[in-house]
Amino acid sequence: MTPDRTRMTVDGVRTWWLLLRWQVLRTRRLLVTLILVQVALGIGMIYGFGFLVPHVTPEVAVFFATGAPTLGMLIIGLTVVPQETAMARVNGRFSYVAALPVPRLAPMCADVSYWLLVQLPGWVATLLLAVVHFHLHLRFDALVVPAVVLVSLSAAAVGYGVAVMFPPGATQQVSSFMSIALLLFSPINFPLDRLPSWLQDVHRALPVTYMADLIRGGLTGRYDVNPALAFAVVTAYCALGLVVAGRAARRRS
Amino acid sequence: MGMLVATDVTKTYRNGVRANDGVSIDVPAGEVFGLLGPNGAGKTTLVSQILGLSKPDSGTITIDGVDVVARPDVARRWCSYQPQAAAPVEGLSAREAVELVGRIRGGEAAQVRRRGAELLDRLELGEVADRPVPMSGGMARLTGFCMAAVVPGRVVVLDEPTNDVDPLRRRTLWSLIRSLADGGAAVLLVTHNVIEAERCVDRLAIVAGGRVLAHGAPAPLKAQLGAPLRLEVTLEPDVPAPRLPEGVVAAGCAGRRLVAHVQSSGVDAAVAWARQAQQGGVVAEFALMPASLEDVYASWVTTEGAA
Repeated sequence: MTPDRTRMTVDGVRTWWLLLRWQVLRTRRLLVTLILVQVALGIGMIYGFGFLVPHVTPEVAVFFATGAPTLGMLIIGLTVVPQETAMARVNGRFSYVAALPVPRLAPMCADVSYWLLVQLPGWVATLLLAVVHFHLHLRFDALVVPAVVLVSLSAAAVGYGVAVMFPPGATQQVSSFMSIALLLFSPINFPLDRLPSWLQDVHRALPVTYMADLIRGGLTGRYDVNPALAFAVVTAYCALGLVVAGRAARRRS
Repeated sequence: MGMLVATDVTKTYRNGVRANDGVSIDVPAGEVFGLLGPNGAGKTTLVSQILGLSKPDSGTITIDGVDVVARPDVARRWCSYQPQAAAPVEGLSAREAVELVGRIRGGEAAQVRRRGAELLDRLELGEVADRPVPMSGGMARLTGFCMAAVVPGRVVVLDEPTNDVDPLRRRTLWSLIRSLADGGAAVLLVTHNVIEAERCVDRLAIVAGGRVLAHGAPAPLKAQLGAPLRLEVTLEPDVPAPRLPEGVVAAGCAGRRLVAHVQSSGVDAAVAWARQAQQGGVVAEFALMPASLEDVYASWVTTEGAA
């Protein structure tokens, strides 16, 4: 790495950390409530899905327990990040930070990191409850860490791109639509073969199935798909998303 | 050559509004340059192009010789900025906001802490310095100034820094703005507060309708006015505006207040007229004073509006 590149990387990490600190300080009064809501949502998902599906088999239990964090990461990226960004555009924080010497995607990375930290206790509660409630056996694979980073960044890149390119009002609508599509029509909490064949084909070309597989494999140690292929697909989508989001963030009116 | 140089900057929005039409300004290091103009004059559009947030259709902008239209990252590194809207300080104490921005602008922690404390102290922001409480408009604006001044760039852009600020703190604020320039920064000051800006700016440009109407130091601009004195008259209630004597030209009338420009040769006639009108129950009070930057501003902007 050249000295210039090293300096840029160090500056980028430092800026990300400062923006993350800004976000934590700004919301500190709400932080405990936000974390408790995430924990409650996680607990609700395990119990709530139990009502939807009365006879939860071990296979279904794995989908419920590992689908919750995956869904959480995707909701952060596709719903929370664009809505936060849209709000920042309205109240002037977006253009204020844009006028500071920060890498263009640093605010997005800080937002993702913040919400991952907020959700983390909820994931732990969900998984612990699933172990107790469904007698689930979890086995963590180290690959879960890069998987979480890739899934979160991919979703956030798409959400951030939407928030920068669309007017704030439209962003709310688009992000709500994406969360409904994720909740109901994406093979995260259920296997791909439950969907109609045309939707299965669509999902084979989209990254969501591979994302869910990677997180499920990372938490159970058992991958239903080839993890190398899943990583390749998700990495490619992540890179594409970051390029598009980066271009959108650098765009000047 | 100036630290900040904009040459023939033209910007037309998609809706067809030409916000800047061949705007040129040149601000050397160590100078406070005022950008004065009515709402919609194109001041904030020019600022946004200087900061690299938007791009001119034509023209060039350089900072310390670097083309910042091509290198907006350099503009962000070398410009510190106080926006027209309140800086985003919600949820933060003033000290946290100032120190965070200082650190993001590359300042060392100890240096930022020291300089931040000094600014907060000078502006008497003690009551919000360490408590993350909702700030009044004036407090938020002063905190926004501190955020721009804690690690000043080579160019410091201040968009309406004195709005909502009380008179005593405003005085300190002007002195701090002056000290930024004395410290070597090129300060671009966008303001409506023409009277107070006169005490602080070295040179200025008057903009309206996207164009620079006049620019230069306050004294030569006032000399161009052709009338070195200003007569302010308060009329008695329900009295129609009287006819002015030779050498006294009306510059504006708002309610009972009438302002006129007086040429040197017309001073005696103006005073005699005003005294007579006062004795005759037409004028309640009057004052004769040197013409101000506000007169220059009003004469240019009124002429532009009438054109």
